[in-house]
Amino acid sequence: MRKYLAALICGFGAGVLQIVPFVKSFSCCMILPLAAFISLLLDQRATRNFEKIAMKKALLFGLFTGLFAALFGSVFELLITFLTKNNDVIASFTDLQRIVQNLPLSEEIKKEVLSIFQSVREDILKSGFSILYTFSVILNNFIVNSIFGSVGGLVGAQIINSRLSNQSNGK
Amino acid sequence: MKRSYSLVLFFLLLFWCLGIFSEWLIKIDEHFVFALPFLQKTYSLVCHQEKNKLLFFDGAGTLTCARCTGIYLGLLVSSLLVLFKLPKIKFRINILMAAALPMIIDVLLSSLKIYTYSKLLAFSTGLLLGSIGFFYLYAGLNNLILELKR
Repeated sequence: MRKYLAALICGFGAGVLQIVPFVKSFSCCMILPLAAFISLLLDQRATRNFEKIAMKKALLFGLFTGLFAALFGSVFELLITFLTKNNDVIASFTDLQRIVQNLPLSEEIKKEVLSIFQSVREDILKSGFSILYTFSVILNNFIVNSIFGSVGGLVGAQIINSRLSNQSNGK
Repeated sequence: MKRSYSLVLFFLLLFWCLGIFSEWLIKIDEHFVFALPFLQKTYSLVCHQEKNKLLFFDGAGTLTCARCTGIYLGLLVSSLLVLFKLPKIKFRINILMAAALPMIIDVLLSSLKIYTYSKLLAFSTGLLLGSIGFFYLYAGLNNLILELKR
């Protein structure tokens, strides 16, 4: 576990930042890749090992950063939903209704889609919890954050190794 | 990297990009609408999805903002390019920084309201970063495969 402490710290930070709307409007899809990159830098400093980073290590660091971000992000999001009985699903319900009504769909399909969404909305408004919403949050967070974290780890390692090559060539 | 791996990477990026255009896919098959709320949630992890920054055409909108759409389409275009020919240029870090700079400047200046947010500018800067950034990802995956083979 200590080996991936940097990934845990950066994953925690990324998980928290992902649910802050203001931050997302600046950083978009870069939160996880940046977190993975920073976790590699932190690990270098913590272990005082400034050699080239192996891609396997970079991938694992990125993956763990993503997994930790998914864990903390999911917990915070579900906790906030439970406590406030409010979230982006509730906020975007009117928008979704409008989108679905404007799409060229049969009335039957429109009714079915809106009833699924309505049941999720009602569950959250009533108890702050919805099985479908919880499943969706956990699945999305773990898959997307793992992938973006891994990508960030691989690209980040390329950047760090490139810098090391430039420094050694400069010497 | 073997062409088969490059092909897998291309198709993964293709599916990701197709998801962004889900509202158009619904016009082809209405059953896609059941995936729409789930996909909106998926892309909400990687994009703020502010309404005024989404790309709209023919009554349908993207699930990510203009900038993110540009980044992902840039990745897709480059992944298609490497299926045919891998550029022989050595991608130094300066090139990635240079590709990211227009986007960073655009984000800063539009956030500070120096000028009004432009979807075209956001898309273009995203496309540049995505198309160049892909080669670093490709190099990373290539090195990973070589490491695993040892």
